[in-house]
Amino acid sequence: MTTLGKLMISTLIGFGVLSTAVYADAAKGQRIYQKKLKSVCGMSGAVFAAKHTQMEWANAKEDGNLADVMTEACPAGKSFFESDKFEKKFKDDLYDFVHDFASDSGNIPSC
Amino acid sequence: MRKPLLSAAVLAMLSTFAAADETDMQAQIDALNKKVQTLEKQQQRSNKMLSKVNAQSANDNIKFGIDFRNAVDMIEYRDHENDTYANNPSLFTSRLYLTMGASPMAGLTFKGKLAVYAVWGSEMYSSDASLKDWAASSKATDTVMRVKEAYFVYSDTLGSQPYSFSVGRRPSTEGFLANYRQNDPEPGSPLAHITNMEVNGVMVRLDWSRFVEGAYTKFVYGRAHQGEMENVYGTGSTPWGPYSLDNTDDKSVDFLVVPGNAYDNGQYQVMYEWAHVFNTKGQQYEDPTTKKAAAGTADLFSLGVKVAGIGDGISDFLDETTLFLSGAYSYYDAKSGYQLLGSSDGGTRDGSSVWAGVIIPDMITDSGRFGFEYNHGSRYWTPMTWAEDTAIGSKIAVRGDAYEAYWNFDLFGVKYLPSQIRYTYVQHDYTPNPNCAGWVDSQKTDITANDLRLAVSYRY
Repeated sequence: MTTLGKLMISTLIGFGVLSTAVYADAAKGQRIYQKKLKSVCGMSGAVFAAKHTQMEWANAKEDGNLADVMTEACPAGKSFFESDKFEKKFKDDLYDFVHDFASDSGNIPSC
Repeated sequence: MRKPLLSAAVLAMLSTFAAADETDMQAQIDALNKKVQTLEKQQQRSNKMLSKVNAQSANDNIKFGIDFRNAVDMIEYRDHENDTYANNPSLFTSRLYLTMGASPMAGLTFKGKLAVYAVWGSEMYSSDASLKDWAASSKATDTVMRVKEAYFVYSDTLGSQPYSFSVGRRPSTEGFLANYRQNDPEPGSPLAHITNMEVNGVMVRLDWSRFVEGAYTKFVYGRAHQGEMENVYGTGSTPWGPYSLDNTDDKSVDFLVVPGNAYDNGQYQVMYEWAHVFNTKGQQYEDPTTKKAAAGTADLFSLGVKVAGIGDGISDFLDETTLFLSGAYSYYDAKSGYQLLGSSDGGTRDGSSVWAGVIIPDMITDSGRFGFEYNHGSRYWTPMTWAEDTAIGSKIAVRGDAYEAYWNFDLFGVKYLPSQIRYTYVQHDYTPNPNCAGWVDSQKTDITANDLRLAVSYRY
C-alpha cells in the first residue's frame, strides 16, 4: 500500500471512531416492527406508519403518549407498547420509522 | 328594628352584585368557549392545510433523494503462473444516485433512480464496447447520467389474492444479501447470488402471506439484450424500415426470473430464485469467429437463508448480529451445432457456489458493523452478476475462493454520512467470469486479485 493509501485509511478510521452523536435509526425501527409487531398487528409496517400524519406522530411523541397512539393503531400490540423494553430500547427507532413513512411523508416503501 | 332592615338591604345589594358577577363570569366563559372553538377550528384547518401542503410537496408529485458516494479503490492483480503483476494504487470514483418516488393514490407507486458513476479524470462519454445496458450505471466509467431504475407498481387484490403488477427498469442490482457488503439499507429485488444486472421487464407478484408468513413469488419476464438490428433504409433492397432484426445469430436475450420469499418473519428469512435465460451467448461449435451467437439456454437456481438477530433478547450484540448462507447452481445447455463455456456440440456445463456471511456490531461506534464473507465457486460456475459493484470484477462469480471483510460506519457518527472500508481478496482457480462471455471455456489459472476500498457517502 502506498503512503497516500495508508494516510487515507488512517484518516477514515480516525473520523469513523469520532462517533459522538447517537441517532435513532428508521431502518432499525422497520426491522423491529417486522420482527416484533408485523404478525401481532396483522399489517405491514408501511400500513401501520401511514395510520397517522407526521405531525400526529410528532405530537404523540412530544406529549409522551406515543405508546397510547401506537396501541390505538395496533390494539394487539398493547403489551409490547406498554413494556419497559419499548420505552427504553425500541421507542426512538420505531418513532423514526413511523415518522419516515407517515401518511403525508411522501416516502414510498419498497415494492 | 333598623339593624335587621339594614342587613336585609346589604344582603339584597350583595346578591345583586353576586348575580351581576355570575352573569359577567358566564359571559366571559361563553366568550372564552367561543374563542377556544374558533381556535380549534383554525387549528384543524391549519393541520388539514399542512397535511395538504405536505402531500403536495412530497407525496402527490415526486420525492427526490440523494445517495452520493466517493471512493478510492487500491487494486492489485497477480498471475502466479506467468509471474506477472498489475495494479492501480488509487482508482478514484464518484457515484451519484438521484432517487425518485411517488404515490399518487393508494396501491400505485413509481420509483426511479438516475445514476452517474464516474472515474475521476475520465472521459465525458465512454464508448467502451463492454459497457452494456445491463451494467452501465453500475460500473465506474464516464460522467453520463443514466437511468438505473424506473418502474411503477400497481397493487390490488383479486378475490382474496393480493397481487402487484409492474413494468419498467427493475431494481435488479445488489439484491438479497449483497446490500450488506454495499452498505445499502435495503437490498434490490432478486437474489444477488445468481442475478445482479440492470434489466427491463414486466413483473407480477403474488402474495402468499395469508398461508405462510412473509411468503410471496414474483414472475419477471424481460429482455437483457436486444438482438442485432439494421436500418434497411438506403442500405437494404426492401424498404421495411428501421428496427428490423437482421436474422443473424445475434438474437435478443430474454429471461424469465422467478424470485420469492419462502418464509420471512423479520428474523428468519428464506429466499429462492430460478432464472431461465433464452438465447444465451456462446459460439458455433469449434468456430471462435462466431462468438456472441445465440447458443442455447441457461438456468440458474439459488436458495438463501438469513438470520437477522440470534435468539431474542439474549444480548444486544446477538440481537444485532446477522448470519446468512446461500447456495446456487448454474446449468448451461447448448443447442445442436453450438457450444457454451467450452462444452461439446450441443453439450452442457454446470457449476455451483456457496456464499456465507456474518455481520456483527463493531462495538466501537453507535451503529457501525463489521462484516465477513466467504464465496466459493466451481470451475463452470457462471452466474449473471456483471453489475456487481466490485472494482476487480464480481467476487460472487469467482471460480475459486473469495474472502471479504468490511466495516460499515457513519462518518463522524452522522447517519447521513454512511462510509465503508472494505477489503476483497479473490483467488481465481479457473478463468474469471467478469462479463458475459459464454463462448469462453474455463481454464485452470492461478490469479489473485485484491481491492481495498475506502468510501464516504452522503445519503438523504
